[in-house]
Amino acid sequence: MTFSLLHATDFADRLLYNIIPPLKAGMIVLADRYTYTAFARDATRGVDRRWVRELYSFAVKPDLAVYFRVPIEVSTDRLLARRVKLKFYEAGMDMGWSASLVESFRTFQGKVLEEYDRLVDEYGLSVVNAVGSITEQQRIFRKLVTQHLEVGEDDEQLDELA
Amino acid sequence: MTSSSTSSPDEGAAGGARPGSYYSYGIPYLPIDGYPGKIIAIEGTDGVGRSTQIRLLREWLEVQGYGVIETGWTRSELMQPTINLAKSSNTLNKLTFVLLYATDFADRLEKEIIPALKAGFIVLSDRYIYTAMARAGVRGVDRAWIRNLYGFAIAPHLVFYLKIDEKTLIRRVLQSRGMDYWESGMDLKLGDDIYESFRAYQRALLREYGSMAEEFNFRMLDARRKIDIIQDELRRQIGAFLAEDDVGTGLRSE
Repeated sequence: MTFSLLHATDFADRLLYNIIPPLKAGMIVLADRYTYTAFARDATRGVDRRWVRELYSFAVKPDLAVYFRVPIEVSTDRLLARRVKLKFYEAGMDMGWSASLVESFRTFQGKVLEEYDRLVDEYGLSVVNAVGSITEQQRIFRKLVTQHLEVGEDDEQLDELA
Repeated sequence: MTSSSTSSPDEGAAGGARPGSYYSYGIPYLPIDGYPGKIIAIEGTDGVGRSTQIRLLREWLEVQGYGVIETGWTRSELMQPTINLAKSSNTLNKLTFVLLYATDFADRLEKEIIPALKAGFIVLSDRYIYTAMARAGVRGVDRAWIRNLYGFAIAPHLVFYLKIDEKTLIRRVLQSRGMDYWESGMDLKLGDDIYESFRAYQRALLREYGSMAEEFNFRMLDARRKIDIIQDELRRQIGAFLAEDDVGTGLRSE
């Protein structure tokens, strides 16, 4: 619970200082992770799913939410290949599921991915297959963003006409 | 902040929970059913004499053989330094303020209150979630949202509200330690005059507490009376409650 609430506090602070002001100024905010990360991570830690959704009901709904999906094996291999030291909480070591950092990471993040899959339907996240090359992912990502911005501009023009 | 309550287990979520059970969604990984301990909360604004009453209650209960722990607002090991730091700067806004308090409470709930309940202790809580709700209410935070937020809290077995009027309260605070920035609600920018701000803030707080009395089964006590008169009344009511309960749980160690 404290883990969940501390993250929510941090998010609230960033929302009010770093997200809402640029939105008001008509800028585009690129958010590296959003409330969905909290939904997936906190649910995996055993926090009630409904509670955490209501907790974050103060958040601004994103205009576009993109989920870069990879199987757990791929994500583990990538991190290990780059010799990234897995972090205690990212590996869910606090859950006490395994004494091995890598094993715990695989189990914990595997469950987190299952939670993300629920979110895709629930919130209509756009999924990008993140197994492919970075160039390919970026191409798809740009297409999604462009489509979205074009629709937005059309709306604005309609507003002006009306 | 939404006010929708589509999936709440019961209407209003916060009020109406059975004492000793979670108000709403609770903490799914910490089932508390059947824990023998009791939570007794003493509520009231600053300067109504809560800590004095709690100290006296503790002695009285311990002499009778009850195990007692005390818990109080912003006393968690995890959050106290953070909260003090945040209060000392002016970067807090009402939302982060509310969430920091909730984090502090969650930490104490998991680390102090629930273990004590499990072990059959009486938890004397110097303020409980109602203080947070009152402060948030005064600052215009959505009531349904804050009630959901504290849906992980446990409904106390008894809640005493030390009720005081604005005039007596002001005199007591001035007599003891003076007014401070946050207790005067200076963040609300009610005015430059700390006295006027304190008055307006405390008046609004008293109104908030009053509006929660029925929802959360407050037992009202007149805090203007003498310390020992209030203590006698507390002991009478707590004694009656524990006598009724002792038959089943036998919390006392002989």
